[in-house]
Amino acid sequence: MLALLPRLRRFARALARDAADADDLCQVTVEKALLARASWQPGTRMDSWMYRIMRNAWIDTTRSRGRSAETFVEAEAGASVGGDGGAEARVALGEVEAAMRALPAEQREAVALVLVEGLAYREAADVLDIPMGTLTSRLVRGRQALMVQLGEAA
Amino acid sequence: MSIDDETLMAYADGELDPLAARRVERAIAADPALADRVDRHRALRARIAAGFAPIAEERVPDRLSDMLGRKVVRLADHAPRRAIPRWQVAAAMAACLIVGLILGLGVQPPGSVIARGDGLYASGPLARALDDQPGGATGAVRVAVSFRDRQGGYCRVFSSVAADGIACRDAAGWALRQTRPGTVAPTAAYAQAGSAGPDLMAAAQDMMAGAPLDAAGEVRARARGWR
Repeated sequence: MLALLPRLRRFARALARDAADADDLCQVTVEKALLARASWQPGTRMDSWMYRIMRNAWIDTTRSRGRSAETFVEAEAGASVGGDGGAEARVALGEVEAAMRALPAEQREAVALVLVEGLAYREAADVLDIPMGTLTSRLVRGRQALMVQLGEAA
Repeated sequence: MSIDDETLMAYADGELDPLAARRVERAIAADPALADRVDRHRALRARIAAGFAPIAEERVPDRLSDMLGRKVVRLADHAPRRAIPRWQVAAAMAACLIVGLILGLGVQPPGSVIARGDGLYASGPLARALDDQPGGATGAVRVAVSFRDRQGGYCRVFSSVAADGIACRDAAGWALRQTRPGTVAPTAAYAQAGSAGPDLMAAAQDMMAGAPLDAAGEVRARARGWR
């Protein structure tokens, strides 16, 4: 599991909104994986298993954050301009990370697994627990959006 | 024949079965615009992968590795660390602008490429640089990225006066898996960006298993003779 940490951090970074959130997500993932150790089948791919745990943890976090954000959205609307989403953070972000962050979650996770982590379509579809056709359609839409974002459109 | 973007993407990613791939190849042969779209998918893939690759090269924070109850020997503490950062990928692309040798036209300078058995191998200064030169160092040969391919062998993306390409170490030496001609006249040292750079990086990305080697990884690989 130790050997997987660098890749998990990379995957987390592709999913989460910043580096701090990404490492929090890694921590939660390792905790969950340690607790659920018994459910990993020796002989199956541990990386896919951990990607799945991380992806589910990320979905949980975004959902709960979505609910609290709704409550506080008005109070924070003005402050967020100079807050952690401000210019400083944006400069630190690479163009690629910023473009990823603009994708809807379902496209971002597909792109993260295939383009960032290098999983085959079949493996990525298994991690996300979706049919191949759903994966490829999310992936192609995500890529088209990234091409536009990164100025590679025709 | 019209081919949808999903199929082209799957082709670019090597995900089509041989029959479907052949169909796409026929369509591409008839329509250069399709080839261009495939290239864009590959270039995007390489760019996204390169954008996040440095994260896997970073030191894992203690609070994470400590959770797994083992103290890791951190090579980063002993040797100055050089991740494969964005600039290096950019440098790789820039390096690919360096005058290339047009291999196919027989303009090979003596001593950098030899034909051996079933393929082309690096020799002379190119082979020595691939053996000994750390990634990112400047010189007549530059190595942009080193990585392990899916078979576990070591490969290095290089550019040189002779040629740009990807060389992988096998029993016979550095086998040239990819070679690119230069995009400019041999008298100029640099030129405008051609398509070889991103193209080569995309090819490397396709061959790569996991992340590119960091500086410490290169040192270890070199100590083992890249085997």
